[in-house]
Amino acid sequence: MAAVTGDASLRAAGARTRARGTKQRRQAWLFGVAMASPALLIYLIFVIYPLIRGAIVSLYQWDGLTPTMTWNGLRNYTNALDDPVFRLALRNTFQYAIGVTIAKNVLGLGLALLLNKSLRLRAFFRTAAFLPVMFSFVVCGVLWSWIFNPLFGLADHGLALIGIHSPPGWLSDPTIALWSVMWVDVWKWTGFHMVLFLAALQAVPQDLYDAAAIDGARWWPRLWRITIPEIRPVIALSVLLSLTGAFVANYDVVFVMTGGGPLNATQVALTYIVQTTFTSDQVGYANAMSMILLVLVAIVGAVQLRFMLGRRERARA
Amino acid sequence: MLDQVAEHPAAARQRGMPGRWAPWRPGRPAGSGRSGSRPFTLAAYAVMAIVVVATIYPMLWMLFGALKSQGEFFTNIWGWPHVFSWANFSQAWGQAGLGRKFLNSTVVTGGTLLLVIPFCSMAGYSFAKVWYPGQRWLYYFVLLGIMIPFGVTAIPTLTVTLQFHVFDTLQGLILVYAAQNISFGTFLMYAFFNSIPDELVEAAYADGCSRFGAFRKIVIPLARPGLATLLIFAGTGIWNEYFMASVLIHQNNLETLPLGLVVFTTQHATDYPELFAALTIVTAPMVVVYLVAQRQFISGLTAGALKG
Repeated sequence: MAAVTGDASLRAAGARTRARGTKQRRQAWLFGVAMASPALLIYLIFVIYPLIRGAIVSLYQWDGLTPTMTWNGLRNYTNALDDPVFRLALRNTFQYAIGVTIAKNVLGLGLALLLNKSLRLRAFFRTAAFLPVMFSFVVCGVLWSWIFNPLFGLADHGLALIGIHSPPGWLSDPTIALWSVMWVDVWKWTGFHMVLFLAALQAVPQDLYDAAAIDGARWWPRLWRITIPEIRPVIALSVLLSLTGAFVANYDVVFVMTGGGPLNATQVALTYIVQTTFTSDQVGYANAMSMILLVLVAIVGAVQLRFMLGRRERARA
Repeated sequence: MLDQVAEHPAAARQRGMPGRWAPWRPGRPAGSGRSGSRPFTLAAYAVMAIVVVATIYPMLWMLFGALKSQGEFFTNIWGWPHVFSWANFSQAWGQAGLGRKFLNSTVVTGGTLLLVIPFCSMAGYSFAKVWYPGQRWLYYFVLLGIMIPFGVTAIPTLTVTLQFHVFDTLQGLILVYAAQNISFGTFLMYAFFNSIPDELVEAAYADGCSRFGAFRKIVIPLARPGLATLLIFAGTGIWNEYFMASVLIHQNNLETLPLGLVVFTTQHATDYPELFAALTIVTAPMVVVYLVAQRQFISGLTAGALKG
């Protein structure tokens, strides 16, 4: 919006700068590269180089300690795809990411719709709902593993209050444990998505609703025909953010709450990769699994990046 | 709305828009469900109450637990303590060595921000306001980092820190955190610089400013909201980071708060009131800072996510 004027002037200024002659152009190039170089340097050393190194190491058999690395070709990759625990971990990673993404966005949008009106205490409510966003997954994970504790936890005592005296093993039952961990992720982030959606809802022009009111449109058609289409970019962004986040930001909460157990029921790709590195010293194998995970996540990440850039371009047009 | 986040306040004011994107502002009762019907309002309050209990009560419960004696802890589950055992806090503080961990976390977060903020502003400026061939490709190359999940590169990053002799040091952790924040930070600063009119830079040149002078004296002061967003977004993330720290830090006295908390909870798995006290001590500063500056945090974190 603001860039409408900025874009034209940018081109003009660019043309002006470009027209200034070779010396000026070389100076601009030197200055630009110099300004970008500190960032580029640490980015190259601690992001790009590890990535390339990881890709190379994934082709070797290596314990991470001795200097000898044995060429292994693609065997690490085929082994990983045949490894039942890794396959389970990938399955869990997908269940985690997709389940958490749906829950956060549905809950966040629902709360935002409910709150998008002048209610008393609304500011207080937003403060409270956003609070867990501030905490680390370590804090949330520790706190909720206590809430799920069978001896003194709130969950079991709460169920007892409503007459259920054989509570589920929140973190010990393999069929439930992953869902319990996912819940903590949802608990932490729902307030964040709610605030995103609230902001989007407040930007929807009121005249659209006024027109709809004249047409006699009721709540449901208003939601489907006006609200959802108007805030669609934010919905897309919110879904992408939670999806890329949930694929790889799940290590902390899983590690703190269950360590991947019971019986690998909550094992996600990252916890298994770290286990393979530190407890069985198979660094080459761990890197191969990392690369497989990277490819899976990069697909979603590429969509997100395209979306972010695309929006910039659209905003400038 | 999305554009307002990145938009420069001055530009926004000219167009009669609110200066910054402000989701906390009560504002107009805009929106979809202006039904105003009584059942709807009642339902809204009921849901609000449930959510408040679900977020606040666990915090209170943690505080209550921290103040109970061992015996009361297992008998009085829900309420506040009948006898306050304040000693839990001093014991937890000493046992977990929390002072040292607070110091480490502060050093790491501060040190990382001291690298990230200047580096990202300079790079963002280079891509947005200096015009030279190849800048677009350089910018895209930096943005690639947004696609790379850092959990995936954790293991090779460990190897690289060994090569550079910064493994198991706070400097190493700072460098890695800084590098991992470059892509996003540059993207954010690029967006803010982009919303500043080019004429300002041109005018600074005309007034005899050097290239760097125009950046430092003219553009940076105008980009303060952007710097604040970067500070809050990167700062919160680093303060809370656990995974990379657990891979790169192995000495006890170098542990950051999240790392120390995990070690403490796994080692002292029996004295629950003390563990609750430790968790309360770790979360309390975060709660206080948030309550004091919640507007900045809410807008910083969400605007950061909306990414310009």
